[in-house]
Amino acid sequence: MSQLFSSQKFRRTALQGGFILGVVALIVSTVLVGKSNIADQGMATGFGFLEQTTGWPVNFSIIEVTGRSTYALVLWAGLLNTMLVGFLTLIFATILGLVLALMRVSSNTLIKLVGASYVEVFRNVPVILQVFFWYAILTHLPSPKQAYSLGESFYLSNRGIMMPAPALSGGDVLWLTASVILAVIFLLLTRKHLQSGPRWAIAAGAIFIVFCILLLTGREPDSALISVPQLKGLRFVGGITLKPEFTALLVGLTLFGASYIGEIIRGGLLSVDRGKLEAGRALGFSTLQINRLIRIPLAFRAMLPSLTNQYIWLMKGTTVGIAVGYPDYFAIVSTSINQSGQTMELLALLMGGFILINYSIGFLMNLLNERIKLKGRN
Amino acid sequence: MKTKLTNLLTAGAIAFGSATAVHAQDQGLLDTIIERDSLLCTGHNGSYLGFAEVDGAGEWQGFDIEFCKALATAILGSPDKLQIIPLSWAQRFPAIQSGDIDVIIKVTGWTMTRDTELGLQYSRPYFIGPFYVMSKTELGATGIADLEGGVFCVNAGTTVERVLTDYMETNGIDYEPLAFEKGEELRAAFYAGRCDAIAGFGPFLSATRVNADNPDDFEILGDVLALEPEGIVVKQGEDDLLDVVNWMVSALLMAEENGVTQANVDEMKANPPTASVGRLLGSTPGVGTRLGLSDDWAYNVIKTVGNYGEIYERTVGEGSRYKLPRGLNNLWSNGGLLYPLVLD
Repeated sequence: MSQLFSSQKFRRTALQGGFILGVVALIVSTVLVGKSNIADQGMATGFGFLEQTTGWPVNFSIIEVTGRSTYALVLWAGLLNTMLVGFLTLIFATILGLVLALMRVSSNTLIKLVGASYVEVFRNVPVILQVFFWYAILTHLPSPKQAYSLGESFYLSNRGIMMPAPALSGGDVLWLTASVILAVIFLLLTRKHLQSGPRWAIAAGAIFIVFCILLLTGREPDSALISVPQLKGLRFVGGITLKPEFTALLVGLTLFGASYIGEIIRGGLLSVDRGKLEAGRALGFSTLQINRLIRIPLAFRAMLPSLTNQYIWLMKGTTVGIAVGYPDYFAIVSTSINQSGQTMELLALLMGGFILINYSIGFLMNLLNERIKLKGRN
Repeated sequence: MKTKLTNLLTAGAIAFGSATAVHAQDQGLLDTIIERDSLLCTGHNGSYLGFAEVDGAGEWQGFDIEFCKALATAILGSPDKLQIIPLSWAQRFPAIQSGDIDVIIKVTGWTMTRDTELGLQYSRPYFIGPFYVMSKTELGATGIADLEGGVFCVNAGTTVERVLTDYMETNGIDYEPLAFEKGEELRAAFYAGRCDAIAGFGPFLSATRVNADNPDDFEILGDVLALEPEGIVVKQGEDDLLDVVNWMVSALLMAEENGVTQANVDEMKANPPTASVGRLLGSTPGVGTRLGLSDDWAYNVIKTVGNYGEIYERTVGEGSRYKLPRGLNNLWSNGGLLYPLVLD
C-alpha cells in the first residue's frame, strides 16, 4: 500500500481523478439544490412552456410569427434574426475591411490617410453608440406621407427604406438560401470532375429554376411578379422594407467591424514577404494581379486565426440590437423571460444558441485554416 | 502532497455544505423583516414617472414608493427603515424569489402565470390600471380603428404587449408592433415619429405626454384596451406578510372613506367619530396584535403618508404634474372600484 503511495504516477492520477470527482460532485449538488429550491418556491420548471403560445407579437422576422405562435417558434425566429443580421454583417464588414486594408497599405498618401482616419474614428467609438447614431438618423427622416421617393418605386422615410422586390415570402427566401447552399456544395464536390464552365452554369441554372418555381407558386394568385411599395393610409404596402431597427444595427455593426477586420487584414498583408511581391513585379504582373494572385492568398493564411476571433465577436455584438428594438435572439429571450418567467431554462437556451452559432463559425474557419495552412508546419 | 490533497477535500466539502445549507431557515418573512429592522422594496431602473422616480434631490418619489413607505411604517414604525432596490421589469420576479427584495410594489398586473407558475402571491388590487393608446394629434384619429396599418410601440415584456395583441385581433385591426426594452428609448422613438401610436398604461401615457416638448402634439384616445388590476406581490407561502399588505391597503381606503387625513389623524385618534375609526387608529385595541404589529400601525401610516386619496393626488393626481383623473381608482361611493375590507 505504502509502495503504491510512493509511486509518483499513482499519486498524480489519484490527485487528478479526485479533483475531477470533486468538480463533478459540486456541479451535481448545485443542480440538485437549485432544483429543490425552485420546487420549494412552487415555481414551474422544465421546457413545457415551449409548447405554449406567446400572446405577444414580434416586430420583424423571416418566418411568420404572431401572438398565436409557440415559444419554440418565436425563439427560432429570434435565432434566425440574429443569424440574418450577423452573417450579413460578416460579409459586408469583410468586404469593406479588405478595401480599408488595401487603402492603408497603398503607396498613395491621401488614400492611406483616408483609410487611417476611418479606422481611428470607427474603432474608437463604442459600437452601441454607433448603432444609436444610425438609428437616430433613420428615425428622423420624414414620415411616410412626406417620404423621399425615387421614381415612385424607392422610398425613404422614418418607417425604413422601401423598394420593389420579387413577390416572395419569408419562407421562400429560406428555401432559396437553402438552394444556394446546396449549389455551393455541388460546386465544391464536382471541382475535380467537371470543367468550371458547365459547373457554374448548372449551379446558376438550378438556383434560377428554384427561384422561378417559388415566384410562381408562392405568391397570392393574381398579384404582380414584382411587388412595388405603395402608400396606403399610414404605411407602405408591397415591396420589401428595410426597417430602421434592422438597418441601423447592420450599418453600425458593419462599419465598426470593418475597422477591426481592416486592421487584421492589413496585418496579414504586411506579413507577406517583400521578395514575393518584387518577384511578381519582375514577372510583369500589374498591381491588381499582384494583389489578387500573390498578396491576398498569402495574407489570408496569416490572418485567418485572428479573423475567426473577430467574426465570433461580431456575432455576439448583434445583441446590441435590443437597444434599438431589433428582435434578435437576445431580445426575444429577454422578453420571453419576462412573459413566461422561465428564467433558468431560457438563459440555458440563450447560451446554447450562441454556442451553437459561434462554435459553427469557429469550426468552419478551423476547417478552412487546416486546408490552407503550410503543410508540414505547426 | 498530503496537505494539498486535504486542502482540496476540505474546499470541496465546504462548497458542498454551503450549497445544501441554503434553505435551512423556516422563519416567516415578516419576522425576518422585523428582525432586520428594514424593508426591501422595489424601485425602478431609471424612471417610471409618477410611480417610481428619482427627484432632483436624489430621493425616490411616486405612487408605488409611497406604498413602500406605508408598508415600512406599518411593520417597522418609520418610513426611514425602507430600502429601495432599483430593478428592471424583468428583474423583479427573480429578485423576489432569491430574497433580494421582500415585496414587489411595482404596478404588477395580476396574471395567472405569475400567480401560479412563478410561485407568487398577490394582494387585493391597490390600483386599477386602464390601458390606452396615445397618438399624434396631427393624425386626427378619434379611435384606435382610425390608426389602421400604423406602427404601435410598446414596452417589451409587459402585459401591454399581450393586451394590444388581443385587442387588435378581436377588432380585426391590422397594425405593426414595435417593442422597446427601456421606457426612455420607447419615448424617444415615439417623439421622433418612428411610431404612430404607443399603447400603454394610462399613467405612463400621461407622463409621456407631459414630458414632451409640446404636450398638445399628442392625445390619449378614449378607447380602453383593457383593465389590469395591479397587486402587491409576495412570495408564495408568506401569509403573514400578505395579511399585513392587504390590511394596509384596506386601512388607507378606510381612512379616506371616513375622512381621516394626515392633518386630522391625531384629533381623530383622540376622539374617534365611530367605533370602527377607533379600532382602525388603535384607540381601542385589536388592529395590531392580530397581525403581529403594534396597535398604532395604521395611525403611523396615515400620519406618515396620508390616506389613499391623499397619496393619489400628491403623486399622480391633481396635485402632481401628471393630473391623472381618479376614475376607477376612486372609492366605490364616488364611482370607483375600490373599497375597504370590514374591520371588526
